Amino acid sequence: MTPPTSIDPPLPQSDLLAAIPRLRRYARVLTGDTAQADDLVQDTLARAWEKRRLWAAGSDLRAWLFTIMHNVFVNQRALARHEKLHVSLDAGDDGGEAWQIPVRAAQYTRVELVELVQHVARLPVDQREVLLLAAVEELRYEEIAAMLAIPIGTVMSRLSRARSRLRAAFTDSPPVTSPLKVVK
Amino acid sequence: MTALRVTGVDLNAYVDGQLAPDRAAAVEDAVARDPVLAAHLADLARQSADLRDALDPWLDEPIPERLISAASARPAEPARVRRRWQAPVLAAAASVVLGVGAGWFVRDAMLERQGTPTTFTRQAALTHALYAADANRPVEVWAPEEKRLATWLTKRLGFAVHAPDLNSQGFALVGGRLVAGNENPTALFMYENPEKQRMSLQVRKQPVAGGEVAFRYAVENGVGVYYWIEDNCSYALSGNLDRAQLLAIGRTVYDQLQSADPTAAK
Repeated sequence: MTPPTSIDPPLPQSDLLAAIPRLRRYARVLTGDTAQADDLVQDTLARAWEKRRLWAAGSDLRAWLFTIMHNVFVNQRALARHEKLHVSLDAGDDGGEAWQIPVRAAQYTRVELVELVQHVARLPVDQREVLLLAAVEELRYEEIAAMLAIPIGTVMSRLSRARSRLRAAFTDSPPVTSPLKVVK
Repeated sequence: MTALRVTGVDLNAYVDGQLAPDRAAAVEDAVARDPVLAAHLADLARQSADLRDALDPWLDEPIPERLISAASARPAEPARVRRRWQAPVLAAAASVVLGVGAGWFVRDAMLERQGTPTTFTRQAALTHALYAADANRPVEVWAPEEKRLATWLTKRLGFAVHAPDLNSQGFALVGGRLVAGNENPTALFMYENPEKQRMSLQVRKQPVAGGEVAFRYAVENGVGVYYWIEDNCSYALSGNLDRAQLLAIGRTVYDQLQSADPTAAK
């Protein structure tokens, strides 16, 4: 007698656990609030289990989870707006507790880093998201475009705007809005 | 001489290592000739490195227990395991009570007319036990799609329903589903507290119009049920909670239904 085969193969649990820190970071960048971020991660994991049949075994679990998180976040934000709840899903401009960088013994405190993160907090959520995925998670633009269901050109322009703004915040010069041109 | 344009987008892609080799060569060429451009590129590269330095420490923070169990989805805690084998038993019990016991039906119907809806409480308790024990699919529509849930249930029940916010009582919405009632479909909203205790609110149209609001409490198969009838609707809160807790939650639900939409239950 053979053991019954599972109709719903479970998600690889060790990979799922390993993805949590990155999911939390992504959620924190999206929500700008540590408690809301963990709620978002929890909702994302629940959704992942519910939709586990849609995950192609062997494919990039992190990318799949990021996609789910993005969708859950967008839906919740739309719902909050619709119900006119005064829920601040956007970090706004306060740069609150969520954006604090934990001090590690081995790491000397760099004022610029603290400042940088505060500037990131003030970016529009669309730009923060792309910046995290491209510059910090180092994902391919095509992957990000697929994840967020936007054209690759939009990924690149959001990223460009985010970086220009951050750069401008440090140099106190206006952000570069027109493409640089070098003609030789 | 060929004219080439290096755009901000090119510089970004170059920094991210995502520029096609021919474009990358063009960027390098342009940067070598233009110190301003070179400084810009260096800025972008340093900015990315700084971002990683700033945000990587977040990855080392301790993970809350609730997220570890959410990743597991099939919690191995004894309570869940015990309830898992209870579910089929309860399902069997439900079919006996609801399907075979014709005598009970008559009696229940009579009691219901007298204002004691025993069928509804027993049904509510059994339904709750059945779905609360289901670790993976306690609900049909999950909390993130709360709006869709409300729309769907409103359509199926024929009157406006929505999930009350019970966060003040420590219960977060898990989601909801439609369940079969004796005569009318019933909406079920499932909630969970941080201790993973589940509680459900069931709402259905009351076949016989009730009079004044009456709050009652019953224990069915070990599940506490707190229920009331108002106008044309019956409400039942079920859970393995003590009476005081259920009463407090019941009051919250009642108050919210009153203040939020006084016509919802009409």
